[in-house]
Amino acid sequence: MNEIATSLSLESLRQRSKQRGEPAWLAAARERAWRIFERLDWPTRKNEAWRYTDLDPAWFALDLEETRPAELRQRDELPRAVRERLAESDAEAALVFEDGRLVYAHLPAELSAKGVVLSDLAGALEDHGEHVEGALYQAVTETGLQGPEDKLAALNAALWGYGAFVYVPAGVTLEAPIGVFHYAARPGKLSLSRTLIVLDDNAEATFIEEYLSEELARTHVAVGELLLRPGARLRHAGVQTWGAGAHHFHRQRALLERDAVLLDLAVNLGGSLARTEVASELVGPGADSEMLGVYFAGRDQHLDHYTTQHHVSAQARSDVYYKGAAAANGRVVYQGLIQLEPTAQKTDAYQTNRNLLLSREARAESVPQLEIAANDVRCSHGSSTAPVDEEQLFYLATRGIPRVQAQQLLVAAFLEEVLGRVPLEKLRLHIARIIEGRLSAS
Amino acid sequence: MTKTLEIRDLWVNVEDTPILKGVNLTLPRGEVHALMGPNGAGKSTLGKVIAGDPSYEVVRGQILLDGEDIAELEPDERARKGLFLAFQYPVEVPGVTIANFLRLALQARYGQEVPLTEFYGKLQRAIETLEWDEAYVTRYLNEGFSGGEKKRNEILQLMVLEPAYAILDETDSGLDIDALKVVAKGVNAMRGPEFGALVITHYQRLLNYIVPDVVHVMMDGRIVKTGGRELALELEERGYDWLKEEVGA
Ligand SMILES: Nc1ncnc2c1ncn2[C@@H]1O[C@H](COP(=O)(O)OP(=O)(O)OP(=O)(O)O)[C@@H](O)[C@H]1O
Ligand SMILES: [Mg+2]
Repeated sequence: MNEIATSLSLESLRQRSKQRGEPAWLAAARERAWRIFERLDWPTRKNEAWRYTDLDPAWFALDLEETRPAELRQRDELPRAVRERLAESDAEAALVFEDGRLVYAHLPAELSAKGVVLSDLAGALEDHGEHVEGALYQAVTETGLQGPEDKLAALNAALWGYGAFVYVPAGVTLEAPIGVFHYAARPGKLSLSRTLIVLDDNAEATFIEEYLSEELARTHVAVGELLLRPGARLRHAGVQTWGAGAHHFHRQRALLERDAVLLDLAVNLGGSLARTEVASELVGPGADSEMLGVYFAGRDQHLDHYTTQHHVSAQARSDVYYKGAAAANGRVVYQGLIQLEPTAQKTDAYQTNRNLLLSREARAESVPQLEIAANDVRCSHGSSTAPVDEEQLFYLATRGIPRVQAQQLLVAAFLEEVLGRVPLEKLRLHIARIIEGRLSAS
Repeated sequence: MTKTLEIRDLWVNVEDTPILKGVNLTLPRGEVHALMGPNGAGKSTLGKVIAGDPSYEVVRGQILLDGEDIAELEPDERARKGLFLAFQYPVEVPGVTIANFLRLALQARYGQEVPLTEFYGKLQRAIETLEWDEAYVTRYLNEGFSGGEKKRNEILQLMVLEPAYAILDETDSGLDIDALKVVAKGVNAMRGPEFGALVITHYQRLLNYIVPDVVHVMMDGRIVKTGGRELALELEERGYDWLKEEVGA
C-alpha cells in the first residue's frame, strides 16, 4: 500500500536513519511506524473522522524533501516574508526552516544559560539526547487521536525529516515568545516536520509556529508534541498560512500533567486543503486546556479541523472554542470530541464551534460530539452556522463602507471573540491582515 | 442653482406589492423638511430606498442627488456621495467598536486616510454637543444600547460623517425629553447652506426643537400634502382623517 514515491522503502528509511547517525531507539521507532504505514489504507470518507474531506493519495506521491544539514544565515539574508514575520512577531528566540533545512537559529545567551534549549530536532538528538529520548513519540505516535493506528500519523512518525525541539527547565519563565517559522519555496515536495516541546515542572513559555510560502504545490505533514509537566504553563499558536496549492496535515497532541495549563490557538488560513487535528490529554488533576481555533476559507480552499479533549484525570478542565468563516466557494469543517474516561469525575469540559458564511456557495460542516463515561461532570457543546447578516452589511454600507470592507469588519468582529482570548496582539493583527487580503481576493 | 435631493415619481414594490406609489419630493440643501404620516404610509420605505436598501424593488422613478440619478448605485456609493440615513431601528453589530467603525466610514467618505487627530477632533466635538460619555465610542456598535442610546449614536455618526443630505427616521421616538433636546441640538448644529435634512416623525414636539422649513404628509405611498410648519400643528390637533377625506384616500 505504498503510494509514496518509489524511492521510499524500508531499506531507504534505514539508510537515512544511519546517515543521520540516529540512535537505535529512534531507528526502531521509525521502522515500526513505517511497517504500520505500509500496512494501512488511506482514510476515506467512510472513516467518521474524514467524513467531509477527500484525501487524495497523489498528494503524498511527491518527492520527499530530504533532510539537509543546517546552513545558517544572518537574519537579513533570510527570505523577505520570513524577515517580516520575524520583525513583526515579538519572538526573541527563533528557528527558521527553509524547505526543511535549518537556515536561522537564535537563542539569547541568558536563556541558554538558564538551561533553555531551542534547536532543530536532529541537533537536539546529539546534544540533548537525554531530554529527547523518553519524550519523543510520547504525545504523538503512529496511532491516531482516537487510539487505533493511523496512516498519516505513521507516515510522519516514520519519515519526519526535521523539526524543532524546545526544552524549558523547571521553574524557568520565558517572557518573549519562541518563534519557529517553516518557509517553503520549492514546489512538488513532500515534507514532514515534527516539533517537540517539553516544559518541565512550573516552567512557562509562549511558542508560535508558523507555516508560510508563496503559491506552490506542496504537501506538508506536521506533528506537534507538547509535554507539560506538573504546573507548566504553555501558550501555543500554530499559524498555517501556506500559499494556494499547498496541502497541509497537522496533528498535535498535548499531555497535561497535574496543574499544567495550556492555551492553544490553531490558525488555519492558507493552502488549498488543510487538515488540523488538535488534541489535549488531561492526565493530571487541576490541568486546564483552553483550545482556540480561527479559520477562514476563501476561494478554492478546504479547511478541516478536528479537536479532541481527552479527560483521563479527575478535576481537570478543557474548553474548545473554534470559530471560522468561509467566502466564495470555500469549505470549512469542524469535528470535535469530548471524551471522558470513567476516572474523569469533576470534569469541566466545553466545546463550541461557530461558522459564518459569506456567500451562497460557501459551506460549513460542524459536528461536536460527547463521549462521557463519568457521571459527576459538567459538559456542554454547541455549534452554529449562519450567513453574514445582510442588515448589518446594509447598515455599514449606508455609512459609506464598501461591501468587501464591511465583510472584513464583520469577519474580524466574529473572530474577535476567540482572538480576544489570546494575549498576543501582534499575532492578532497579522491574522486580521491575512483575512483582509483573502476577502478582497475572494 | 441650489443643490437638491429630488425624488421623482418613485414607485417601489416589496414582493410585488406596491408600497410607494409615485412619490415626488424635493429637498434643497440649506433646508429641513419634515415627513409625517400615519403608520405604514411608507415613510421608512422611502428613507431606505433612497439609501439603497437592496430588499426593495424600484419599479420606476428617479432619485437625484445634486442632479445625478443615484437609483442604480450601491448603498455605500450613495453614502460616499453625501447621503446619510439615521435608522428607525439601528442594528447591533457586536465586535465592531463605534470608534473603529466611524474611522473606517470617514476614510471611505474621504477616499483617503484620515489623521487620527482630525478624527478624534470630530468625534470629540460630536460627543460634547450630544452631551454624551466618551466611553460609548469604545463599545460595540449599538450592542446592548437602549433605544435612546441607539438614536443618539445615529446622530453622533451624522455629526462625524457630515453628509450633504440626511434622512432621520423617527430619531425622536424612544427619547426622553432631555435626550430629545440634545439630539435636536446635534441636528441643528449641522444646519447650514450645505446641509439638507428630511426629518421623519410622528410628533410635533420634535419640530419645536428642529424647526422645519417645509412639512410633507405621506399617505398610502404618496405625498398628499405639503405645507409650512403650521401643517404639523394642524395634524397634531386634528389627526389624519380630515386629510384622508380631502385627498379621497
Ligand atoms: N421589507 C418589507 N417586507 C414586507 N412589507 C414591507 C417591508 N417594508 C415595508 N413593508 C410594508 O410597507 C408599508 C410601509 O412601511 P413603512 O415601514 O415604510 O411605513 P412607515 O410609514 O415608516 O410606518 P411607521 O410610521 O409605522 O414607521 C407597511 O405596510 C409595511 O408593512
Ligand atoms: Mg417607519
